[in-house]
Amino acid sequence: MSRLRLISMLAVLVIAACALSLLIGPAQIGPMDSIAALVAGGNEAAMVIMREIRLPRALLAVLIGFSLGVAGAALQGMLRNPLAEPGIIGVSASASLGAVLLFYTGLAGASLLALPAGALAGAAASVLILLAISATQASTITLVLAGVALASLAGAMTSLVLNLSPNPYASYEIIFWLLGSLKDRSVDHVWLVIPLMLLGWAALWASSRTLDALSLGEEGASGLGANIPRARAMVVCGVALCVGAGTAVSGAIGFIGLIVPHLVRPLTNRLPSQLLLPAGLGGAALLTFADIVARTVIPERELNVGVVTALIGAPFFLWLVIRSRRELF
Amino acid sequence: MVWFGKRVWTGVVAAVGLFACPVAGLSGPTVASLNVCTDQLAMLLAEPGQLKSVSNLARDPTLSALHERARQYPANRGIAEEVLVAKPELVVTGTFSLHNTTSLLKRLGFAVEEFRYSQSVETIAADIRRMGRLLEQDAKAEAMASRFERELAGLEPLACARKPVALFYGARGVALGKGTLAHSAMLSAGFINMAAERGYEGVAAFPLELLVQNPPDLIILPTTTPGAPALADEILTHPVLKKLRTTVAGNLSRPARLSCGGPFTMQAIHELRTYAPSLPPCRKVPGS
Repeated sequence: MSRLRLISMLAVLVIAACALSLLIGPAQIGPMDSIAALVAGGNEAAMVIMREIRLPRALLAVLIGFSLGVAGAALQGMLRNPLAEPGIIGVSASASLGAVLLFYTGLAGASLLALPAGALAGAAASVLILLAISATQASTITLVLAGVALASLAGAMTSLVLNLSPNPYASYEIIFWLLGSLKDRSVDHVWLVIPLMLLGWAALWASSRTLDALSLGEEGASGLGANIPRARAMVVCGVALCVGAGTAVSGAIGFIGLIVPHLVRPLTNRLPSQLLLPAGLGGAALLTFADIVARTVIPERELNVGVVTALIGAPFFLWLVIRSRRELF
Repeated sequence: MVWFGKRVWTGVVAAVGLFACPVAGLSGPTVASLNVCTDQLAMLLAEPGQLKSVSNLARDPTLSALHERARQYPANRGIAEEVLVAKPELVVTGTFSLHNTTSLLKRLGFAVEEFRYSQSVETIAADIRRMGRLLEQDAKAEAMASRFERELAGLEPLACARKPVALFYGARGVALGKGTLAHSAMLSAGFINMAAERGYEGVAAFPLELLVQNPPDLIILPTTTPGAPALADEILTHPVLKKLRTTVAGNLSRPARLSCGGPFTMQAIHELRTYAPSLPPCRKVPGS
């Protein structure tokens, strides 16, 4: 499949998911009225619902899904590890821990800016730890096991901090930070993540040529004149910005960055640089659909979107592993 | 049986000497309260020295309308051992909490009286009287209960073109529906509870979209916990809430007055009613 065709197909999928997401909600508004309220105005209540409640939700699903997809593709490329993914190797969980540490302890007041600041720091710290481990122990399994340990440690610490908070609601929020949700996010959150994510995407994009060279192995890449330390730093910053910003507003959402690169890789020429954009678009479509399922599967009771991504993601990934053991990467 | 005899004896004394001057010593049994709702009724009715301890939740301003007063009493954590050491003659608690503690204490021979989790304004007077009987402070309880009943019966309908619609909207986007004390207080105050009208029962998640689609006349928001942020409070600053132009946003000085039923619940009802003149259906149009 040509690259242009793949990208336009994925883009259509994202737009369809987004449109469906905008039409779903407890306030029964007809499709025509919804579109009218979104673009033209008119009925004030419908306008507020569309522009202030549903649009931010759909946009955040797209932005966060895109970021997770891109981050997954870049991590898999850099670590040359098919199991590398922000959720599995503990980057998302560490971002949650960072956000929780800075926000709930009241260190930063009740400022919402504490969330992305803490999440970015947590995500960056975890990527650096994983890089250090993969530098001394190149084995795929070591890295994944270290990541799993990091993820459970960060999850446990998150629960601990929330349980210790004097605010009676904090302990309810453990599930949000560990399983993610896009419920009742506002336009403010969209503005909060957009600049951070744009920077993150740019950093990952800047590293993509070196990631291609890295697929020949480190020595081969150095031989081609690639600046590997610079590319590493770019990936660390890029993943921290993407995953940190997303986790700060939605909690940790797993599996998107794992499944999507595997799904779209066979449709590309398998070079990491060619994979980034399709993986991002695929992630955006998948998270938006997952969020639709989370809202509609049990009427009047919303699931955490991380539950849905795990329910779709884990069995699918198992199937993928079994089907193409040799051609996984 | 010694204990039982003493109980009957003090009861007889109290019954005979109801209108006589209290003699030296306590006129009722010593009491420990293990539930935040019984804590508050007991604090209001017990005479000095009678109430041995109240639960530590009674000091929590978010749950207890009498949290300052609770600091004058030793706090218990609702653990059976604490009761064993304090040896009160009576334990009062709620049916809602601490089932294991309650059955353990009963097995150990303590007199345990359970109060159901008060869910309506109508049960408050009966609960006050019952607590009065148990503490042998009947006269005080009767005065308090009948005053509450008088005030409840004396509430005039609000002077509005139609009953104003109100909603208790809390952290995490939950509303207080049918079956909550807040719901019955809202009805007594002369409002319609939007959550109950929509079929919500108890404390239930209320979608922000429905709030925008049919804005209530009054929305009562919680007061947040200072110094301890939680995302739960984020919903209260959601930009959508500022766009509800016909809705008056208010809050109660002590939301805990609606967590447990007591004479103080009447103050919350009056506080709700003070919002009425500012609400769209109740505003006086000049000249009409």
